[in-house]
Amino acid sequence: MASSHVEVPGEATETSTAVVETATGIIQSFAPINQIHQHLCAFHFYADDMTRQVEAHHYCAHLNEEVRQCLIFDSSKADAKLIGVEYIISPMLFLALPEEEKPLWHSHEYEVKSGVLFMPDLPLSVQRMDLEKVVKTYGKTFHFWQVDRGDALPLGLPSIMMALTRDGQLYDHLAKDVENRFEISFEKERENRAYMSGPEHGIHPLANGAGKGLKLELRDIDLPPLDSFPRIFV
Amino acid sequence: MASSDQEPGPTPLAGGGEGPTPPGQPTTMGSKLLDKGAKMLQSMKPVRQLQQHACSFALYAHDHTRQIETHLYISRLNQNFLQCPIYDSDDPLAHLIGVEYIVAENIFETLPPEEQKLWHSHAYEIKSGLWVHPRVAEMIAKPELKWLTKTYGKFWCTWQVDRGDRVPLGTPALMMSPQGVNSGQVRPDLLKSRDDKYKMSSEELKESRLEIEEPEWLNPNADYWKQHGKGFGLDVLETDMKHMTPFP
Repeated sequence: MASSHVEVPGEATETSTAVVETATGIIQSFAPINQIHQHLCAFHFYADDMTRQVEAHHYCAHLNEEVRQCLIFDSSKADAKLIGVEYIISPMLFLALPEEEKPLWHSHEYEVKSGVLFMPDLPLSVQRMDLEKVVKTYGKTFHFWQVDRGDALPLGLPSIMMALTRDGQLYDHLAKDVENRFEISFEKERENRAYMSGPEHGIHPLANGAGKGLKLELRDIDLPPLDSFPRIFV
Repeated sequence: MASSDQEPGPTPLAGGGEGPTPPGQPTTMGSKLLDKGAKMLQSMKPVRQLQQHACSFALYAHDHTRQIETHLYISRLNQNFLQCPIYDSDDPLAHLIGVEYIVAENIFETLPPEEQKLWHSHAYEIKSGLWVHPRVAEMIAKPELKWLTKTYGKFWCTWQVDRGDRVPLGTPALMMSPQGVNSGQVRPDLLKSRDDKYKMSSEELKESRLEIEEPEWLNPNADYWKQHGKGFGLDVLETDMKHMTPFP
């Protein structure tokens, strides 16, 4: 069930193109991409609609001990669609955010402690070593591609996404599907993670949309008259 | 809340200033070891599809005086579609500043006009030598460049590092591509700095790309500002969340 079955329009990649990509793949440097060291699976829902839930595969890199940046795909397969990004920060950095910024960020405590957020193919005890830190963090997620409504292309505006905050939110069928495919049990792992504790001062009341729904809207902006710019190039 | 075209509210995390972006302790040895272990055991298939690196420039749709150098890491889903995380440099600790999607012109023409105005054309960037594939001989990149000339892109910027945001703040900002007219032109100092870094000359590339065929026509809904003099901002609005159980 994982990724959407909708095919992106377009012909199959031509051999000549594939050949160029093999060359560039070998010759070029991919330093920022090589920093991506971790695959994490969780669920997001739309900040204005909890009934629309998306399985989200995060591929994460540390910028430092307190900040991570993640690419989000709709599956862990080679043909996965890049559907969004997430940034993860420590509680200390979260507290320093402007008050108006905090609602855009969500807490991770529930997802981690419930076992729903996990790292495929890593021994559970190893996962816990990192998740002890993740459990305290806050995340900011935007999706650009609404695969859950069957979009074949990334249409429209970005969506702010939220994370699970309590039991009863995640659809059973989505949970079971992931548990089956990755051969894990959220319930069992929940017991193993009972010792973990979330942010020191509790989840900030302004996080998670400050409890409200959020959505993005486009606004036209008048630009300075076009001919007010001098020609730069001769 | 901070719209894409507004300065963030008061915070030590904006406005540049001293200290690294982002602030925080350097990654600990413990984290690095965990990362190494994870990388060995986990399959990173979607990330391994990122097979090309391109460097170009982009402008904020709401303010063309704000121009940035962009590093795209490109994954091809099929002959007509690319998906690209974008970074602000090619360093290991480059900031992930957004995502761009690139489609062939035939795909672009199927989009409704309201959607098309969020996209930008690539012909000028390619022909003028602004868009480059670092370390790759032009000859090898040529087929790809020819294809890219007839494509359109949609780029959301999620971290306004250039204005001094030390962590990602506010809503995503729509970006536009350089164009050969008016405010779409890239500042010479920005271009020179990039060219010097890679020991290349956009002028020379422009010469060698003269023969690349331009698109027969450019859809006037793309590069919306050219015909309409308007950019776009994104606002966050509070609304009722549709939900079936309590939140939060």
